[in-house]
This record gives sequence, structure tokens and C-alpha cells, in this order.
Amino acid sequence: MSGVRYAIPRARDKEPAGGRTVERNLLFLAVLYLMMGMITLYLDESVAPTVLAVVAGLIVAVAFLLVHAYWKASSFRGDRYLLPITAIIISTGLVFLFRLDPYYGLRQFIWILLGLGALVFTSRLLLNFRFLSDYKYTYALFGLIALILPIFFGKVQGGAKSWLDFHFFQLQPSEFVKILLVLFLAGYLAENRAILTAGTRNLKGISLPRPLEWVPLVTMWGISLLLLVFQRDLGAALIYFGAFLAMIYAATARVAYVLSGLGLFAAGAYTSYFLFDHVRVRVLIWLNPWPYIDDIGYQITQSLFAIGSGGIFGTGLGQGYPHYIPLVHSDFIFAAICEELGLLGGAGIIILFMILVYRGIKIALRARGDFSALLAIGLTSLLGLQVLIIIAGVTKMLPLTGITLPYVSYGGSSLVANFILLGLLLNISHEANDRL
Amino acid sequence: MKHNIKKLGILVIGLLVVLIFYLSYLNVVRGTALAANPYNRRLQAYENQIYRGAIYDYNGVVLAETSLAGEKNKRVYPRGRSTAHLIGYISEKYGRAGLESVCDRYLLGLEGTDRVRNYFHKLLGREQLGGDVTLTIDAGLQGLALEMLEGRRGAVVLLDPSTGAVRVLVSNPSYDPNKLAEIWPQLTQDKDTPLINRATQGAYPPGSIFKIVTAAAALTVHPATATATFDCPGFLEVDGYRLDDTAAHGRIDIKKAIAVSCNTTFAQLGLNLGAQDFARMVKAFGIDQDPGMGIPVRPGTMASPKEMIPTELASSAIGQGEVLVSPLHMALTAAAIANNGDLMRPYLVQTVEDSHGRVLQQAGCRQWLKVTTPQICGIIKDGMTEAVRSGTATAARVANVQVAGKTGSAQNPHGQTHAWFIGFAPAEEPRLAVAVLVENAGAGGVAAAPIAGRLLAAAVNKGY
Repeated sequence: MSGVRYAIPRARDKEPAGGRTVERNLLFLAVLYLMMGMITLYLDESVAPTVLAVVAGLIVAVAFLLVHAYWKASSFRGDRYLLPITAIIISTGLVFLFRLDPYYGLRQFIWILLGLGALVFTSRLLLNFRFLSDYKYTYALFGLIALILPIFFGKVQGGAKSWLDFHFFQLQPSEFVKILLVLFLAGYLAENRAILTAGTRNLKGISLPRPLEWVPLVTMWGISLLLLVFQRDLGAALIYFGAFLAMIYAATARVAYVLSGLGLFAAGAYTSYFLFDHVRVRVLIWLNPWPYIDDIGYQITQSLFAIGSGGIFGTGLGQGYPHYIPLVHSDFIFAAICEELGLLGGAGIIILFMILVYRGIKIALRARGDFSALLAIGLTSLLGLQVLIIIAGVTKMLPLTGITLPYVSYGGSSLVANFILLGLLLNISHEANDRL
Repeated sequence: MKHNIKKLGILVIGLLVVLIFYLSYLNVVRGTALAANPYNRRLQAYENQIYRGAIYDYNGVVLAETSLAGEKNKRVYPRGRSTAHLIGYISEKYGRAGLESVCDRYLLGLEGTDRVRNYFHKLLGREQLGGDVTLTIDAGLQGLALEMLEGRRGAVVLLDPSTGAVRVLVSNPSYDPNKLAEIWPQLTQDKDTPLINRATQGAYPPGSIFKIVTAAAALTVHPATATATFDCPGFLEVDGYRLDDTAAHGRIDIKKAIAVSCNTTFAQLGLNLGAQDFARMVKAFGIDQDPGMGIPVRPGTMASPKEMIPTELASSAIGQGEVLVSPLHMALTAAAIANNGDLMRPYLVQTVEDSHGRVLQQAGCRQWLKVTTPQICGIIKDGMTEAVRSGTATAARVANVQVAGKTGSAQNPHGQTHAWFIGFAPAEEPRLAVAVLVENAGAGGVAAAPIAGRLLAAAVNKGY
């Protein structure tokens, strides 16, 4: 291998199943991108200059390449685009966290390493992920307990009571439970798909749904409401329910399910609008935040100012004023990216996620068996919906719901959970690539 | 199932595409407005990096500029009190107001090629430059107007009725924007509210100057009004209430009624019109609207036509009752009559140039409203000319130039009547329309008309 090598593959299908050259080349680009960001930060006097950022960048770069090397050595056949694309998205997040606050940058750096560890473990231990479908009720119960725990022992943060405090770090169970949920649904739907698709039975001309059909729907609705009411976690409730509807549609193609699901959701949303102040406030500042610019509308208007001030090209890394936005390191990091990297940077991030979703769908289409396909589409919808909801929230396209931007926002639970999600997608594609 | 997955995938990716479009809309279409929003704290930060552009009057006199005072740039207003309300201020502590805020995006170089140029200046560590704004205002006349209001509360508006270019916009009491930090506590507590721009945000009963609107309505709805004669016994009885007039004017026509400001005639005309037609003409003059000059304007208000009982209608027809207007709206009313019924959109900014002197924006005169016909304007003009020649407004006379005008002495709950004058000159081919208001100063013909006369004379001498 010598001479110039192009990262863009010309004939990926001709590459042998075990070959991961494309992944390596794309990773080199990601590393270049990451190091440029870190060095820019280091050279900029206006941002707290710290050589730590460069060192952290180098270590993350090496860690990504090591994961690649390990997979290559172990003839892992998982999708070759997922890791490099995720690496670019994560690099953007890490650079911005160091730029916003090195404290969060350093912590995120450690979480990325732990996350990559989780990714390797997932690709190793769960390689034959199919056994998971056998224990679906076990971890459905486990997930439910994990969801309920914060209600009693939880800590309120950012208005949501969805955190468990372990002194050294805090854990947000809902981030992990979302994966358990998709696993459970994939197992359940794969098993009952035939009955569910067959439709309703007729009782003297009146079609009545059987318990098997409506019980999961109502249960899911209940879990979403549980999140909404007791944890005040609107974002998680929305993602859970959205992923559930997506999976049920994929499994059964029955629009009636989706419609009645949406109807239930609308009813729940409508009722909670009248019952809960925090829901009402969110809607109020979504419709018109300007009269409340000094208090409840402050955050979203500051986010809009940041996005508007960035322009098409942005102010340049380190040249904007993202600190005017409260919580900029977590939910609002996208606004900071738009301010400093401009519309092009913001759209770039969305396009990267689009490619990720595209690969996820490809994997689902090529997956072997219903369980794998449903798992893949479930995980992909989860990711896509989360990106959609938080970015639409900080741009005021939808009401704001406090959730993280996957791989970008600061947050250990979110990062590790999303690495596990990535690992599962890779395992599904590994299985599918087997037949090549 | 593969089919469903494909559809689902298209939906999710489609939604992300919509998100990109929305982000582009937010960034490109609404971006500069968001960047220049007075609540955007970045503006103050830009302020410290950029050499903010200057604001000039119509003749190039500096009204606001940035001077280098030691480390920090300092904003200077050479005309001080006379342009305070119009130009406004920028302050880290007290926010942004007036044209300084309205023109922020130009003055800070956020618009046009300056945006790109300053981007590179910033990258290269060079000084960034903002654009300059030239107004339609005449600083000399502006100063004269404030001088004539000295010691009294009031406002003066002078504009060109054929284009809509505003030449004078003054409010008193005023303040020195160069000393904002020292005087702010007094300004906010002063019961004379010096921070309010009375010319555009004031709400005053118009009194007799509103008869212009009533006359236009009557002539529109009942064309016979033009030739009719009215009998004024010195009072009018409405629903058992007696409305006293200043004098028994005897048998008069509409022109004479304007000239002598006959309450009886106009109250009767109002009653004949009915509330709906009267309200329609008030709207036609744009009195209930903000003409969109950028600075804050209080639209005029009156009782809702549905709830207007006869006594309220009769009072409104002579500018009392619940009618409340700003001096700007009354200047526009005079301008509409002066310009034969075509009301031009008023504007303050003549040209905007970027930091290299390239013109970004050039004001063009545009018609705002079609108020009434030239015939009707002709009749009202004759009445207003007569008022200055021999009626209530003789104090507004200017040597060698025929002025047309109408006085008002508006009763109000705060003491003496508010003195009003609106008019235009020269009557044959008007180039200037004016409104003068002096709070609680007595009769319009005594307290307001002379100010208008001196201002019009000065403006004519300057060649406007």
C-alpha cells in the first residue's frame, strides 16, 4: 500500500467481507478533523488555551484507530461506515466541549474512552445477539425497575427527575432503558408479528381488537406517560413512544396501529397540557418566547440569537459567544455549533446523522430474520428521532424537550448508551455480511 | 417488512431534510434580524470589536459617531438633546433605543458585503468597520424646533408631503444622551417622562385639528356638503346635552367653518355621518396604524364605532371624547391633504452605505395610503388657507409664502388645553407639512401656530 489513497471508496462491494480499508481511510480523515479542531483551540488565545485538549484529542484518535485495528484483526464484518461517521460527530462534540469548558471536555474525553470500551465489548460479547430475544421479559422488567428508581431516589436536573446520583457520577437510566425497550419490542414483535398482522377478529360484524394487540400499545403509552408525569422527562417520553410506533409500523404495516397510537399520544399530550404546568410552559414559549425573554423564554431566545448570529459560515471556532446560552454544553450544544461553524456546520452535523440513519436502514434491510431487522430499524429510529427532537427543539421548530444530541452533548450515560446502540447495529450487519 | 422499513427510513431521513430547510430559513431569512435584535447580548460584544458607523443628517451633519477615547470606543452625539429621542442610544447597561437600535445591523457591518469583509478582518485581527446611515432629518431645523419648545412639554414633526421624508422629529423634555449613565436614575423617575418620544408615542386628544378628518369624511359621504351652508347659533343640543361653541358663527359654508373652527357645524356633520363612516375615514388617514419607520409609534385610538353613542360621536368629530393621537399622525393628516389625498409612507433613513461607501439602501418615496380625492382636498385646503389668512391660525403666517393650517385647543384632564397646529406650505404646491403640539399651553392659535410659522419660515429659507 503506497502512494495517495482516497478515502472515498469506489468499489466497496468488491472489498472482501473482512476488509476494513474504507473504515481506516475515513478514520484518518476523522482524526485529521479532530486534531485540527484541537490545535485551533490550543493556538487561540481567547479560549482558555490548554495543551490537554491536544493530548486528549490524540488519545481519542488513537483509541478509535485501535478499535478499528482490533476489528480488522478479529475479522469483524460489521458495517464499515458507522465508526468513522460516529468519530466525526464525536470529534465535533469533544472539540466544542473543550472550547466551552475544559472541565466538561475532560470528563467527556473519559466517557468517550469508556464508550469505545463498551463498543468493543458489545461487538465481542453480544456478537451473537440473538440470544437476547429469549430473555425479553426479563430485561423488560429490569428496564421498568430502572425507570422507576429515579422517581424515588432520583435527582432533579434541568427540570427532569431522571437522574441517579452515584456520588462520582450520575446515571440517567432512561438512556439505557431505551435500548432495552427496543430489544424487548424487537423480540415481542418478531414473535407475534403474524398474529398482529392478521388483524382483528370479527364479532357479529363488529371488529374487536384482541388483548394481544392492544395490551402492548397501552403499556407503552403508560410507560411514556410515566416518564412524562413522574420524571418530567418530555424528551424521553417522546422518543420512546416514537420508536415504538416506528417498530410497530415496520413489523405490521398496519396504519390503524400507528393512527390509534398517535391518537393516544395526542390525548395524553392534550391532557397533560392542562394538568401540568411544565408542559404548558414548554408550549407557551414554543409558540412565542419573546414576551418571556427575561425568564422562561430566555434559553430558547438565546439559542435563536446564537444561530442567527452565526450566519452561513459561522464566526469561526472560539470566536462566538455561546456562553450566553444556559446549558450550552448539553442540550444546546447544537446552537453553539451553529454560531461558530455556521449554517454549513449545523447542516453538516445533520447530514452526518442522516448518513448514520441511512446506514442503519441499509442494515435493517439486509438483516437476517425478523428480530434482527426489527432491532436494527428500532435502534435507527431511536437515533434519528432523538436527533430530530433535540435539534427541532433548540431551533424552535418543535417545543423544547430536554434531551441530549447523541454523541455530541456532554453526558456519560447518553454517550455509553449510544455506543452500545452502535455496537448492536454493527453486530446485526456482521451477521448479515456472513453470507457474502 | 422490508417494504415498511424502506418507507420508515424515507420518513426519518425526510424529516431530517425538513430540519435542514428549517435551519436554513432560520439562518438566512431571519438571521440578520435575530443578530440585530436589541436583546441579543452579542451586539454589545461586537460593539467592542468594531468601529461602529456614523449617523448623518440630510446635509451630512454628524448626529452620532464613534470616537476613540483611550482603550474603549465612545459613542458621541454632537447634537445632544435635540436628536435624543430620534437617534436613541446604545448602552451596555440600559440597552438600545431609537435609530441606533433600528439601524444596528448596518452600523455594526452585519449587512451586505460588510458581513463578509468583517469576517476576514476578524480572522486577520484587523479592525472591523460598520456602515454609515444618512437620515432625511435636518439638524438645524431640529435644533430650532427644540429651542422653540424650551421650557414646555411638547413635540414637533415636519415632513415633505410629496415624498414622506421626515425633516424634523422633536420631543421635549429631552435629555443629553452623552451623559446617559449619570442622568439615567433621574430620567426614569422624572414625572415629565423625558424618555418618551412624544412625537410618536404621545397620546393626546387632537381637538379641533381633527375637524380636517371630519370634513374629509362628510365631503366623501355627502358630496352636497361642499355647497351646503350651516347655521351656527353658538351651541348644539345632542341627546339633551348642550355642546357650547366659542361663538355664534351664523350662516357659514364648510370652508368658513374650517377657517373659524366652528364646533357646532362639525359636531352636526359627525352626527349626520354616523359612527361607521366617521371611523372609516379615521382609518383611511392611517391614524390607527404604525407607518413603519422603525422607531416605536403609538397608533391612534378612539371609541369603537359600535359603542359610539351620539354624544361621543359629536365629541369625537371635534377631536374630543375618547380620541387620542400622536403628533406624527396629525402631521401625516396634514400631509395627506397637502398631497391631494395621496399619503406617502414617512421615512427617516435616506441612504445606507457600507464601510466602503457603497450604497446598500436608498430610500424611495412610496405611496402608503390613498386617503381621499384631490377635489375634497382642494376644498379643505381653501378652508385651511383661509384660517391662516383671517381665521384662527393667523399666527402661523410666513412672509411671501402662503401657509394653510388648522389650530386646535384640546381639552384634557391635566389642566389648560393642549395647543395644536397642523398645516402645510406653500399652500399652492406644498413641500412641507407640519404638526406642533404644546402640552397644557392654552389656545393652539396662540401657543402652537407661531412655532409652526417660524419653523416653516426657516425651512423655506433653507430651500425645502
